[in-house]
Amino acid sequence: MKRALAIAIAVAIMIGARGRDARAESCTGLTGKGGRFATCFDLGNRLSMTTGSDGVGLSLALRHMITFEDEPDLVWKLEHQMLDATHATFEDRFTGVLYRGRFLRHARDGHIVLPLGGGSPKKIFLPFDIGGLAEAGRVEWVPGSTAVRIGVVKMAALFDLSRTRSFRRRIAFGPAARWDVDADRDEMTLTQHSVSPFSTLLANVRLESANGRSLANFEVEAGSVWRSKGGWGPDARAEATLERIVLAVNDHPISLVLGVRYESITDEVLAKVGARFVLFDRKDPRVQLDPLVRR
Amino acid sequence: MTKFVAREQHVLRDGTVELAQPTERNDRVRGSGIAHGFANMNRPLLAAVAAIGIGLPAISHADQGLLPQMSHDRPVICGRDTEGHVWRIQCDAASKVCLYAANDELASSGRRTKPLERARDCEIEQDFDRKKMEADGFQLFQGRVDAPYGWMRDERGRIFQINFDLRKRMFFGAAYTPQKILDNPLESKRTSVDFGLLSFNKLSDGQTPTMHRIRLVQGEVHVEPFSAEVTIAHWDVSRRFINPLLRITTFAGTPQRHDLHLNLGLWTEAGGLEIHPSAGGHSTIWKHATAQGTLDLWQSEDLNSFARIRTGVGLEGQHTDGTGYRSAIVPSSAFEIDAQLDDDGFHNIKFEFTHEAPRYFVKFQNGQHFANRLKAKLTYEAVILAINDQPLSFKLAAGGEKRDDIFGVPNQWAFVADAGLRFSLWAPPRDPTPHPAGR
Repeated sequence: MKRALAIAIAVAIMIGARGRDARAESCTGLTGKGGRFATCFDLGNRLSMTTGSDGVGLSLALRHMITFEDEPDLVWKLEHQMLDATHATFEDRFTGVLYRGRFLRHARDGHIVLPLGGGSPKKIFLPFDIGGLAEAGRVEWVPGSTAVRIGVVKMAALFDLSRTRSFRRRIAFGPAARWDVDADRDEMTLTQHSVSPFSTLLANVRLESANGRSLANFEVEAGSVWRSKGGWGPDARAEATLERIVLAVNDHPISLVLGVRYESITDEVLAKVGARFVLFDRKDPRVQLDPLVRR
Repeated sequence: MTKFVAREQHVLRDGTVELAQPTERNDRVRGSGIAHGFANMNRPLLAAVAAIGIGLPAISHADQGLLPQMSHDRPVICGRDTEGHVWRIQCDAASKVCLYAANDELASSGRRTKPLERARDCEIEQDFDRKKMEADGFQLFQGRVDAPYGWMRDERGRIFQINFDLRKRMFFGAAYTPQKILDNPLESKRTSVDFGLLSFNKLSDGQTPTMHRIRLVQGEVHVEPFSAEVTIAHWDVSRRFINPLLRITTFAGTPQRHDLHLNLGLWTEAGGLEIHPSAGGHSTIWKHATAQGTLDLWQSEDLNSFARIRTGVGLEGQHTDGTGYRSAIVPSSAFEIDAQLDDDGFHNIKFEFTHEAPRYFVKFQNGQHFANRLKAKLTYEAVILAINDQPLSFKLAAGGEKRDDIFGVPNQWAFVADAGLRFSLWAPPRDPTPHPAGR
């Protein structure tokens, strides 16, 4: 586990370093005959299918910004992931999330205002952006068991230290609350409730290269969780994912995906390797596939 | 001419933080800093000064301890000094008072750092002549640049939100009925979390103003003992009818008309889930859908606040460990108050008293087909601070419940109170004008 994470971190650092270099390069490639092709990709707006060691999966990702004319230094960065599901091919294992959203408010001057009850409010500056994470409808089941875990809702406050206007970098942490339900698929009964009333801490690092060909994402959540059978207990989960676009067909990228995931409740480490096929994606605005016409 | 130099550390072009003394020498320094390079005041500026001559006082001292703030409703002009720095100026022709402030945000040293945020466009008057204005009797004082409704600007020109609409937000919070486990202070009994993925109010103004209230994935979860309530989707509408439902004319003496307004609306929920501890495990209530008609007994001007009664019917299923699943039709009624107590949205109160009477298709534990649920809950929420303009609020709640639909739960009132914090995302400033919707 430690070795895998170390490798992942090293690759992420490489991605970050390459990301800086890639800003200068063109996002439109040219063949010898003048044909054009995309070399930059939008990793946040796509419908993709993934096949790999953990099965076959589908995911719809959308991201967009909300800007304000009268406050150009303020931007809301909204990321949505819907119907992110994977079913193992050769065993009865399923993981799916109905909706997951990350909302970050980037301002050039982060601040806290207090007090607001009376007198003159004071503004104290903070070195981070703030935001939140919301997840609803997570479902997981594992082979050899009729148990299913339903993540009804999960929410977290996020403090983003990276403070970037773009989606390419996120170094966020914050307290997380979640409510999971264990159920029996055969008997259709609820067997256990697990609640984290902001007693866990979530940390998330996401690095994306400037050309959108490489992505590294790490997420760790650890703390105390209350369970209706057993009371309070420690709980930890960690996930690392690396993605590298290795080729594109008709400008739809195909990427290599590596990942590792750990959960303390099952004391299970799952590694995965697979290929992700982008079925539909938003063309990176820097890509110019149509030659410019001189008027 | 000595007043405005008292806070001159913010405007000196060289960025000094030393307090300037109210002397002629300092006056000259200030003058050279802002306006001595301006030529004669031209016609548009005169027009602007004349135009803002209505309404006194020009200087707003509403924010005690701060420099006076320019009015957001009056014209403002910009002038460039000999250093090339741009200043905002707002004059009141009646009181012969002008406020000036830097057209940029300032560092604590007084150095200009970046353009003002949420500031109005300002036309640069190339010919602004401060000497001419002073000769005409105008006094110039240092002030603060105006801010739009719901926002405030400090003396360095930095802006922050001071008005919050908690009916437009995503929120999550934690509450406690204090009982800590001494061994591990992180473990807390009787803890709860509450959450709302989206709260959104939308006013459709017009002949018959209608307020739409949408709530998605909203609920709360308690631990020790575990219980949970969550509603996937909620939508209700309040309307204000201009034309009365009934017009009663009396002919005793002078004929008189008496209007009876009935502000009817609709209240719906779908995908509700309640989980409660029961004698044999847990009792899970799936509230598939509920629809009720509403009658607003009181509405605020902007339709954000109301007091109303509602009644209707729903369909639900209940699964209790040991006794299995049964469905019911649920007639229900409620009285509720939802009010913002102040214009800035800091203080919010919500009260709800509901009665639900599920009619089961199969006989219940008491040998009958029906049961009763009574619930009352009062919640007060107050914004206490804001982080990056996103409010953190304090929540105080108290409630009671009496029900006989869960096996093993005594049919008597049970009360609970908790206090906690909520963090909200979005929460924009409230509508600037209390919409006289339909009035």
